[in-house]
Amino acid sequence: MTQVVQTDTLVPGSEHQLGTIPVLSVSAGNETYGFPLPAIREILMPPPLTPVPRAPEHFLGVISVRGQVITLVDLPKLLRLEVHERQTIGRVLLVDSGEELIGVAVDRVVQVSQLRPEQIEYASAMSAELSEYIVGVARVPSESSTDPEEMVILIDPGALLGGLK
Amino acid sequence: MSDPRDNVQQEFLAEAQELVEALSRDLLLLDEAHQRGERVDSALVNEIFRSVHTLKGIAGMFGYKHVGTIAHALEDLLDDLRLGRTIVGDPLLDVLFDSVERFQRLLALEDPQAPEEKSGVDAYVAAVRSIGAQPATEDGDPLEQYAIGSAVLSVLTEYEEHRLRACIREGMKLYRLRATFDLAAIDDSIETLRDVIHDDAEIITYLPSLEGGNDESIELVVLLASHVPEAELKAYFEGRYGTIEVIEERAPLPTNPPNPTLIPPDTRSELPPSDDDWGQASLRSLANSVRVDIRKLDDLMNVVGELALVRGAVSRVVESFAADPKHRQSLQELDRVGRGFERQLSELRMRILDVRMVPLGQVFSKFARIVRQAAREHDKQVRLVVTGANTEMDKLIVEELADPLMHLVRNAIDHGIEPVDARMRLAKPAEGTLALNAYHKGSNVVIEVEDDGCGMNAHKLRETAVARGLLTAEAGHDLTRQDMLNLVFLPGFSTNTSVTDMSGRGVGMDVVKTNILRMGGVVSIASEHGIGTKITVTLPITLAIIRALIVTVGSRPFALPIAAVREAVPYSPKDVRSIQGRKVVTMRGETLPICDLARLFGLQPRGRQAGRFVIVCAMGTRELGFVVDELVGQEDVITKSLGKTLSSVRGFAGAADLGDQRLALVLDAPALFTEYFEGAGAQLGAETHA
Repeated sequence: MTQVVQTDTLVPGSEHQLGTIPVLSVSAGNETYGFPLPAIREILMPPPLTPVPRAPEHFLGVISVRGQVITLVDLPKLLRLEVHERQTIGRVLLVDSGEELIGVAVDRVVQVSQLRPEQIEYASAMSAELSEYIVGVARVPSESSTDPEEMVILIDPGALLGGLK
Repeated sequence: MSDPRDNVQQEFLAEAQELVEALSRDLLLLDEAHQRGERVDSALVNEIFRSVHTLKGIAGMFGYKHVGTIAHALEDLLDDLRLGRTIVGDPLLDVLFDSVERFQRLLALEDPQAPEEKSGVDAYVAAVRSIGAQPATEDGDPLEQYAIGSAVLSVLTEYEEHRLRACIREGMKLYRLRATFDLAAIDDSIETLRDVIHDDAEIITYLPSLEGGNDESIELVVLLASHVPEAELKAYFEGRYGTIEVIEERAPLPTNPPNPTLIPPDTRSELPPSDDDWGQASLRSLANSVRVDIRKLDDLMNVVGELALVRGAVSRVVESFAADPKHRQSLQELDRVGRGFERQLSELRMRILDVRMVPLGQVFSKFARIVRQAAREHDKQVRLVVTGANTEMDKLIVEELADPLMHLVRNAIDHGIEPVDARMRLAKPAEGTLALNAYHKGSNVVIEVEDDGCGMNAHKLRETAVARGLLTAEAGHDLTRQDMLNLVFLPGFSTNTSVTDMSGRGVGMDVVKTNILRMGGVVSIASEHGIGTKITVTLPITLAIIRALIVTVGSRPFALPIAAVREAVPYSPKDVRSIQGRKVVTMRGETLPICDLARLFGLQPRGRQAGRFVIVCAMGTRELGFVVDELVGQEDVITKSLGKTLSSVRGFAGAADLGDQRLALVLDAPALFTEYFEGAGAQLGAETHA
């Protein structure tokens, strides 16, 4: 099992020294997604969006953040997890993909949780066919009273750019 | 972010590249001087030695074994050269020029240690070694005739001693300059002095004298060699630097220093080792400049943008207090401070733009080598004349310019300048001239590539265009002479039937023109048959800011670089006809194909069709009208790339901030032209038709 390597992929840097990985979970559409916290540069109120004609559907357009032009993507569409028409954007995450910043549109930010490696079910260990952007899934305690646990789909920021090019 | 090792590797490659370019530049100077029969400039040989030496050092650190091996062999050869153990000649120059190619190829290798390269490297090293030492003629030791003093002679390095001998042999007179220098800036001062007197005199060595000077300054005795008459030298140095005296040519008393002010032997050990000026000089030249990734400058510019927003926010807060008379005085003060802030901010913006500027010489120097090589291969004699090499332009433009200019230069040698015998028959000088001129003109930079070759035959160009089916014979009939010359910019037009090493590699003038248009520039051509050709490229100084026409399509703003725009005319749907599935309108008797951007981009045109506009754009000899909803106006915009994620989306050159965080997509006119007229053009036309 190559767990060490995968932990690294999820969290660039040495944040997992204590054996836990800080993960920011956000909700978009009907799912909850998790990003390694160190890859999140900023969480923004959505700036004015400029759609780019002829771009693939998962690109919502471009936004200007302090003079920098950033591409905004729709996560559920990119992962082909659901077909929904986004009405409004709640927040924009600026995600460091390793080469350039990518804006990810989400409905809301849920929480930051410390994940232990054993909480993560890695995609490589699962039989189901998953998108290349997904590292795995984790079950984390939920805020909701009805369901004590929530499933978080863990995203690999490094793979995002590769897949989007 | 990216692997730090990659960054280090990039740093190395960038520095190595610079060194090789400097080497190439200096070799050309050496070659020129040699061809003119001038004496070898020792400072230049040192410069070359230094480049190779540094290259050897860094190549070793980064595992570029082959580069290191070659540099090492060259270093030995150059050391022989600077010590007078070998002389400048064609075999030596050939070997040195060859090294530039080799370095460049080896630096481009994926695997810097590639074993298959070894045999080539070894053969080259053997060639370098075979040049070896060819001692210059010795004719007794000329030093003995001068009263220099053993104290000085004994501290001279082998190199300094060699230079001293060489200068005496060349009939130069020796001088002793006594001057006071500021201790803190002594190295710089000596270096400055060296530069100032470079053409007239050579500094052999300098030693501290025991007289003069205080805590902050020191008196030096500088040993100079010069051709310049004594009186002139005196007039120059006395007062400005210090006193100067001739070292007389007479029988010396070598064991007894005739000049007691020169340092006595017992304190000699305190002297700085005179070998040092090598190391120090190379360190200094590196320390004077820093290499900065241009993206960092973009980041800085973004921070300036952010500061402007902060300034706006402060103004709004100030306004909210404006009604209160109690604060009146403070508000006035705040207003004054605010305006000062704004001034500084725009100053900062200008300075950052200024940092992006680099001299065009950076790209011109590459051509010097190409010209020399190309002329040799074609057995033509070409003299390259460069003016305005220090004209500055945006780094990005200079980079982008290299390829188009290279093509123009190659064309001039390949097709322009005639072989020597042909030139003799025409009573032209055997040596052809290729001029690269650069100068500022308003906010533009003009670059001319001019040759005194055979020029272009306008009518022949027209025949070729008709023969290639690019032009109907009737259409060709009406062309002016200038129109005929402009035919070379048509895609698929190429007058050379044979593909040579030099040009004709399928990159035609149309590509040159498209690339220059993409940078917001224009290219024009002037040629007289039999006399020569001049291609003029006009470019904006910086890519960062372009003038654009802002239009709306489907209520969204788009920016169209003004360089491509001819005019804007009202659109009248009733005049639109269809020809072969493409929509056209007639303008002043000419048929103009049009492309409705709303349809192309899948947007809903706003308002009545009749209120819309046609923006006529030109690219080469082609024109295309883009139908848009509204004209907003002209604006200077900063184009930012869309990034890797959207690089596959065609038709946009980037996005520009219109203020308040609103972005306008910048249309990529050349790409839209290509799309319309070629390949995907058929679909595009059909879409317009549908």
